[in-house]
Amino acid sequence: MLTGSKTSFKIKQLVPDFKDKTLNFSNTALRSRETSDFKCLPGERVLQRTQPVRKPRAGRGSSLTGALLCTTFRVAFVPEEGVAKTEDRDSVPVFLGEHDVALASIERVVAVSPSRWKVLSARSSLRFHPEELVLFCRDLQVLRFHFEKSSAESAEITSAIARVYQPSVPASLSSFQRSALGSVEVKQYLSNRGADPQMNWFEGLQDWERELARTGATAWRVSSVNDRFEMATSLPKFNVVPQRILDTELKRTFAHFTEGRIPRWCWHHPEGSDLLRAASFQSNIYHEKHDARNLEALLFGRHPQCVIVEVGEDMPPPSEIQAAHSRLRALCLGDIPASLSVSDEKWLSSLEASRWLDHVRSCLRRSAEVSCLLAEGDLAVVLQEAEDRDLNCVVSSLVQIMSDPHCRTLPGFQNLVQKEWVSAGFRFLHRNNYTRDRDKEESPVFLLFLDCVWQLLQQFPSHFEITEVFLLTLHDRAHLPLYSTFLFNCQRERGRNTQHLSQSYTPVNGWQELVNGGLAPGSGGPSFPPVWDWALHCTPERRDSFRNPSNTPLSPGAVPNGNSETPPSRELSDCSGSGPGLVLLFSKGSLGPAPHLLPWRNAGGAASGWKNHRRAPSRDGLSRLERALKGQPLGPRGPLLPLLLGPCLRVWRGCYLRGALQTQVPPPVSSHLHVDFLASEVERLRGRLALAKGLDRHGNCKRAESRGTNQKPRQETTNHNFLFAGNRGTGCSPERRYTQTPTRGQKHPKLPP
Amino acid sequence: MLSLGSGGGKSTKPSFVSYVTLEDMKIKEKEEGLRSKHPYLLPGEVVFCSANHVLKYTQEDASQRGVYGTLLCTNFKIAFISGESASQETAPPFRNKLLSENDIPLTCVDHIYGVSDEKKKLIIGGQVKSKYPSKLIIQCKDLRVFHFSLTYAKEEEAKKIFQGIVHHSLEPKSLKCVFAFSYCETASPSQASRKSSLTLMFETKEDWSMELGRTKGNCKVSSANEDYAISEKLPQFFVVPFAVSDDDILRFLGKGIPFWCWSHHSGCALFKMACLPTIQEDGISQKYMHRMLDAVTQDQLCPVKIEDLSSCLPALQDLQLSYNKFKQLFLIDSTTEFWVSDMKWFSSLENSGWLEIIRQCLMKAVEIVDYLESAHTSVLIVEEHCSDLCCVLSSLVQIMLDPYYRTRSGFQSLIQKEWVAGGHSFLDRCNHLYQKEKEAPAPVFLLFLECVWQLLQQHAPAFQFSETYLTVLSDSINIPLFSTFLFNSQHHRDTAMKPGHPEAQRSPLNFPSVWDWSLQFDCKAQSLFTNPLYVEKPIQDKALRKTSHQKHQRQLSLPNTLSKPSPRKGFFKEETDNLKKIFLGKRISKWLNPTESSKELYESWQRKPLDYQGLLLPYLDGPAVRVWMQRYLRWVPEAQIFGGGSITTVNRVLELASEIQDLQKEVERRSCRMNSSIEWKQVYSGPPLSARLSSFPFTTTHAWSFKPAIPSSIRQGLGSVSSLADKEDDDSQGSGVL
Repeated sequence: MLTGSKTSFKIKQLVPDFKDKTLNFSNTALRSRETSDFKCLPGERVLQRTQPVRKPRAGRGSSLTGALLCTTFRVAFVPEEGVAKTEDRDSVPVFLGEHDVALASIERVVAVSPSRWKVLSARSSLRFHPEELVLFCRDLQVLRFHFEKSSAESAEITSAIARVYQPSVPASLSSFQRSALGSVEVKQYLSNRGADPQMNWFEGLQDWERELARTGATAWRVSSVNDRFEMATSLPKFNVVPQRILDTELKRTFAHFTEGRIPRWCWHHPEGSDLLRAASFQSNIYHEKHDARNLEALLFGRHPQCVIVEVGEDMPPPSEIQAAHSRLRALCLGDIPASLSVSDEKWLSSLEASRWLDHVRSCLRRSAEVSCLLAEGDLAVVLQEAEDRDLNCVVSSLVQIMSDPHCRTLPGFQNLVQKEWVSAGFRFLHRNNYTRDRDKEESPVFLLFLDCVWQLLQQFPSHFEITEVFLLTLHDRAHLPLYSTFLFNCQRERGRNTQHLSQSYTPVNGWQELVNGGLAPGSGGPSFPPVWDWALHCTPERRDSFRNPSNTPLSPGAVPNGNSETPPSRELSDCSGSGPGLVLLFSKGSLGPAPHLLPWRNAGGAASGWKNHRRAPSRDGLSRLERALKGQPLGPRGPLLPLLLGPCLRVWRGCYLRGALQTQVPPPVSSHLHVDFLASEVERLRGRLALAKGLDRHGNCKRAESRGTNQKPRQETTNHNFLFAGNRGTGCSPERRYTQTPTRGQKHPKLPP
Repeated sequence: MLSLGSGGGKSTKPSFVSYVTLEDMKIKEKEEGLRSKHPYLLPGEVVFCSANHVLKYTQEDASQRGVYGTLLCTNFKIAFISGESASQETAPPFRNKLLSENDIPLTCVDHIYGVSDEKKKLIIGGQVKSKYPSKLIIQCKDLRVFHFSLTYAKEEEAKKIFQGIVHHSLEPKSLKCVFAFSYCETASPSQASRKSSLTLMFETKEDWSMELGRTKGNCKVSSANEDYAISEKLPQFFVVPFAVSDDDILRFLGKGIPFWCWSHHSGCALFKMACLPTIQEDGISQKYMHRMLDAVTQDQLCPVKIEDLSSCLPALQDLQLSYNKFKQLFLIDSTTEFWVSDMKWFSSLENSGWLEIIRQCLMKAVEIVDYLESAHTSVLIVEEHCSDLCCVLSSLVQIMLDPYYRTRSGFQSLIQKEWVAGGHSFLDRCNHLYQKEKEAPAPVFLLFLECVWQLLQQHAPAFQFSETYLTVLSDSINIPLFSTFLFNSQHHRDTAMKPGHPEAQRSPLNFPSVWDWSLQFDCKAQSLFTNPLYVEKPIQDKALRKTSHQKHQRQLSLPNTLSKPSPRKGFFKEETDNLKKIFLGKRISKWLNPTESSKELYESWQRKPLDYQGLLLPYLDGPAVRVWMQRYLRWVPEAQIFGGGSITTVNRVLELASEIQDLQKEVERRSCRMNSSIEWKQVYSGPPLSARLSSFPFTTTHAWSFKPAIPSSIRQGLGSVSSLADKEDDDSQGSGVL
């Protein structure tokens, strides 16, 4: 493959020694084969190595010095001074260290010397010794490495990287994946990862039932009619449909929707409304009478009214999202070949011209509208999009983030993505276009969603448990073809890929019995871990900053709780009766009756039965909805309605501008660090107080007890103030994190550099 | 009770209907008349005219909801006293003692529009009109907009109040008419003479020597202008290099003298200077200039760099023009216009050019900082009168370099030093007297506050004061009560405050200073001025710093250790230069080209970990310069985030801080060992702030319920909602036919 050079050394791949490999699948075992300070994955080979290299730190401070390695999996940078710190092996993530960049996320390799620069590809040859190596990544990061001496060595590692990164060749992608995940050890290690008990994967029957119970939706059931993906290939195995529809009836409805994506339940508002999503109606199909009844039942659930929201209307098509994103990218990064940097004076108008923020705005607007509708109660809101696989994902998940505090917590957000994107069949593979062979379908819809969430986050900082760091990490990982989350277009593909592999990579309740009889691990291609297993690829420090300690915790009442809060179904009898419910179309920002919308109602035969179409509740209901849209006070527990005015939408600087050469990137906004500090101060003082109390009583054994009694009066307030104390869960305990409390002389929070 | 249409959520028709008869109102008025009028008046305040039954719209759209009340015009303000507010609302947590929510100081009025027969017309002072418009729109300098309807008031009253308001707020008047004079004549002297002790006023020789001593400046305090013997523009005392003699100062009546502003610890210093009058014979003035430059350099033992501001910064007229354009972006009358302007928001923002001016000022300041900090060169800022942009730049440079000016008292001293003593013509620039023949007004001081805000939002922990403080300060400019902002120079103030007539037996008037915040806000509200996250100077370091400063002082000629390039720096620097040269070669950017040198400053500054007590540089790239949301959007209900905004984070921090305080007290009570450890600043304590809106201290919750939840064309679409049912009728009939 690659011819090693004389000046650099090459590490031959060792054959894994199976006898030594006991069943000890700890991190240490995985990283056993190390080259001095660098630890390879079992399937990984080091191709080139050079030293010393300097990496300027992002943000502030001096640059780091260390070794630069190019392997079959990544470009790794091992800082000299960092070695001591990583003694604690368990804290090192398995796949990517803090300074590493996976080959697959590199988009362009540029070599720079004082006089010239060159964009390198696999075939191009480098005729000069570069002083600096610049890696432009697909996730908008720009990594820069300075060689201490520009020598042949620097040229070799540069061209080595250029030779292996090649994203456009599918073969390189699979070899990349194989080198990371293909080895037996990694497979076994991954298959033994414990499940996160808080995760809901939305793959099994119980998962959906759990969600139904959580939201308190009662009139719905989980149907397994699509168990073998016979009805709709892109839908998950289990779908939630109204209780009164039988599976046999349900089967007949699939044909009426594009790709068989029937209206499915997504979320239940505590006030009683339900959110559904569906693809567009199939037009050229004959509607039998009882078909029509089933279809109506499917749309209405138990509600008297149904609002159909045309999600695609006035919204950017995926191709436009892609175009806007590349314009934004060019603006922020100043793409090298184009050299189209914008001067500061023209920055704002160029930003406007990219139209990215317009698209963010339209997504947020549509979601805010739907949230208001839902808050009205007793409605079925059906999000309808041509294919139900792009903007429906964005809008339905944004609606839930706005309306459901649970979705703003870390596990809640992960569950939400799992529900509305992964299991609902968002075409991650095509939209991410890892293999670079589907340029037409590439579209950063998921990134648009993350940007929308970020806008919400910066407008309502105290309502989110997730942080910008979390969103940013997710943003970056979405560009990495390593995770089962992002590598498949739908559940069927995901299942097919893993079926012949280890059955237990996904710790799902209902999965194992379905896929039993899987082959022994070790055969076939690599099995991909879900992106949510953060310990695999993030340092503990980074994982700690996923949660925002200043978040106002969820008071128990705020979580929609089905047991206590389901309002009595108001007009249940009304809708279960014979007449059809009122169908409203939400379009161009206003509601209107739309009897023609449902194709079967137009068909002469079917409609004839219902002459008395207009009924009393219609006008009533309409005015109620109008009020909702007019913005009557929704109260503190209403949805978070973002402001969409020009000055209120911002550029996500931390994401888009971190690699920009021409901008002076400020250190990340770190107000939550202050809060962290303050919270730790409270902890410390508490400890002291407890200590002092203990001393007062001359009883060393009483400490714990005294502490308990002392805290009593404040308990109510502090307990829900200090979310992290109770919620910090697996990360690490506050005691461990705050061992380095500041010296006495320092009066106020001092930020870590 | 008197508010109409606002109570019923189900109001179907978007028009105003009065359900209260006129008789009812009269009774109401009699009950409340005596009680409601007088508690609102300050000492010395006189009511000129008033009108009852004026409707103040609470929402500026078609629905025409409003509150009835009395509109007053006094010699201080235009006030609206609503009939119901007193009983219903509790006092908001952040209340100005001088002004209540619906008060507009006369000097704060920006524009008045009259609406009659659906036509909106700008009203210009001086035109006496017999007719009065049915609706009055008052735009304030702090960007509030009031809509009053005079339709329901008595004709005579309405006419009177309209003419009164126009006369008192839009027509030229003399300085003596400003409210401060009548206020100070009647107010108790003890109240007015209180001074904040920490702020140096720079009115005495001692203040200047103290400042010289603090910065180890190598200059002398000159009292040549005592009793304004030389110039009325200059302060009584100022600081000049040792070599400048009193004769020199006398030569051009104070022009062409390098005034000392601040000394860097390396020994170089910042000076400012007014241009020499141009009519002079060349030989004399040139020789004179040389002498002055020598005076600057010899004393400081370092070279000097002259910065002429007229060539590199926009003129004052441009400033005013650009600000007016910028302001319009936030003064949009109706909600719908706001949504329409959305799409073009960024380009119209850019077109106003205001942000660009801010960027240019900051850029220039960074350039000067670079000379002082890395080249150890003294800088002499030259401007025509050295009292406009000169003040902006010298103050900015000092804020960036000296952490003292980032504390509240330091910041106030800085404004006293550079602006008040520096002779900035506040009165002319703010145009409080509406004298058209005077020099053009220009928001110079506001520009300075804008620049400080940019620094503050980029490096919040470095500042002891908060954004709210700056906003309140920018509002105080328009309250005609404070000596700080009322005069063109110290001399102007002293003569104005002297008793006008010899027979007046009282001592000179003593105007309050704006720094006496207790006049405007109570303690609780003032606690919002401090930044709870301020990173204070570590205490032990103080001694160390002092000695190190002295060291620098003595080794003036030796290279500063701080600036000594590390062995690797050159190597590193060259490389980044290459990269940027190559990649960004085609880029025409202002900050890359003329300030090659400050780029290095940025690089070396960024390489060091950020020290909030050290040098502070602003980020100037396109996305970094932002709009001061709190100031400009606080009155726009559409821009208020309900239950959100950064205020919630601050809130949380305050909660935690007060909790720590409590715990600390507890700890200290228990064990005396800890008594020396940490003491927290008095932060906001008391009940948790009821911050429901992102514009928290400024607007209370009353507006939010009218906020349109759905920001789209819905609002227009809903106009035709009543026809929807009909449409449905048609539809169903149509399907019936089918």
